[in-house]
Amino acid sequence: MEQEKIVATGLNLFYGEFQALKNINLSIRGNQVTALIGPSGCGKSTFLRCLNRMNDIIPSCRVTGRITFDGIDINQPEIDVVALRKRVGMVFQAPNPFPKTIYDNVAFAPKLHGLKDKRKLDEVVETALRQAALWDEVKDRLHKPALGLSGGQQQRLCISRALAIQPEVLLMDEPTSALDPISTLKIEELIRELKEMYTIVIVTHNMQQAARISDNTAFFLVGEVVEVGTTDVLFTRPQDQRTEDYITGRFG
Amino acid sequence: MKLSGGNPLAGTEMDLSPAKRSAGQNPRWRQPRALLEKVVETGLFLAALTGVVTIILIFLFLFKEAVPLLLAPGPTASLTAKNWYPVSTPPVFGLWPLIAGSLLVTFGAIAISVPLGVGAAVYLAMVAKPTVREFVKPAIEILAGVPSVVLGFFGIAVLAPLIQDIFGLPTGLTALTGAVTLAFMAIPTITSISEDAIAAVPGKYLEAALSLGATKWQSIVTVVVPAALSGVSAAIMLGIGRAIGETMTVLMVTGNAGVIPDSFLVPVRTMTATIAAEMGEVARGSLHYHALFVVGAVLFIMTFMINLIADLISRRLKKGA
Repeated sequence: MEQEKIVATGLNLFYGEFQALKNINLSIRGNQVTALIGPSGCGKSTFLRCLNRMNDIIPSCRVTGRITFDGIDINQPEIDVVALRKRVGMVFQAPNPFPKTIYDNVAFAPKLHGLKDKRKLDEVVETALRQAALWDEVKDRLHKPALGLSGGQQQRLCISRALAIQPEVLLMDEPTSALDPISTLKIEELIRELKEMYTIVIVTHNMQQAARISDNTAFFLVGEVVEVGTTDVLFTRPQDQRTEDYITGRFG
Repeated sequence: MKLSGGNPLAGTEMDLSPAKRSAGQNPRWRQPRALLEKVVETGLFLAALTGVVTIILIFLFLFKEAVPLLLAPGPTASLTAKNWYPVSTPPVFGLWPLIAGSLLVTFGAIAISVPLGVGAAVYLAMVAKPTVREFVKPAIEILAGVPSVVLGFFGIAVLAPLIQDIFGLPTGLTALTGAVTLAFMAIPTITSISEDAIAAVPGKYLEAALSLGATKWQSIVTVVVPAALSGVSAAIMLGIGRAIGETMTVLMVTGNAGVIPDSFLVPVRTMTATIAAEMGEVARGSLHYHALFVVGAVLFIMTFMINLIADLISRRLKKGA
């Protein structure tokens, strides 16, 4: 149950000459929530984007080292990124629903991956929207533009859009940083429910959020992992002085 | 019409705000600004009115000059004839050859220029390396500035012999030659404006599509281009608009035969070319003179319809957004 889903070993990442990640060794356990914390520019989002190879679209970016997903090295050139991204969904910092209808947003990926049957598609859309706790709010306006939703609803729509491909891992890059406290609360509740079925990796600037929702926490600082452990231990008895300084707000 | 929000009673008798009350003692307080607002509003209204009134006047003038032929007893029937022989006795003013010629050349040009223009725009915005793009885009934009008569030269000197050879025709001045030349005119506009629209689509859409396991090509087709659709359709309309009213080029390269064309490879005569070629030679007030105005009126109505249809289409397309 709690085996290691994703393991990064000796991972380095360069943007041109600049080294953004230095010798990262980190494992992500299955069906748990792992929080990545650290000051801006420390490499936590970059690390997150390594897990579904989203850094591929940045031309100057170069990666060395291994990341295994269920034991398979996803940095090998022969890996099919499309297949990888079907198993590793992603939710971005600012809600980014497509300028299409609510239904079409959620149905986008299943359709793309070959689901044609209208009734099955309806089912997938409903399930995904229910999982993201959005169904009751939008069921009467599925064919209205997604951009008419509130920010919090848009972000939950993005979550259900990612869930519609039935991934195994969900990557979330500061998913609540653009949202109000009530929407944030809803998404945190959602994350707690979703970890039953998914492995979740979340980047957050909000220390309380990391403490509230995560099982494990990794603290990043200037491209390195300073400390990693269960959230309880890391927040109550940090081993490293820099971790303690950061979580108590003395720097960063 | 009030541009400034705030007090809805401002300027009325009932306005008891300090601004109004002090306005009596101190006229500089409010009045000059209100006057300026009025002047600007009236000025803008007149500007808008000028446009509308001009269009209406052109329309009326066109139809006033066209009506005498429609009322004339004899040749009226010949509007539906199969030929345009304005100087034979009796003259034959069959409009069908001209309408068919215009439609053939215009739709031919659209069929060639839209896929090529939009395709080039997608390439430049999404695929090309920045160095390639910085070179190619200005080059295409320069093409937009080539005068139509120069393109006409090109059509006669290069394209027509080529088409004559390829298809083994008696003449290279055909509807196809006109369509290709017009497409050359429309492509730069379509490409340049579409590229701007596609490049302006926020990168977050592309990222989201890629993260859902779409390939780059799928992301472009299903997300990026649809998101840019209003800009792309505006580009297409501008490009087509340039092609449809174009006169000089088609006059030069289409061969100007006033018969109903049966293929793309025969000479045709368009409405614009007819008016341009014959207007200088007709006697003012003659039936031929009025016939040319009928042609102009028909062209006006067709352009109007095309604009209307395009508007409806782009409105429907925007609905999903």
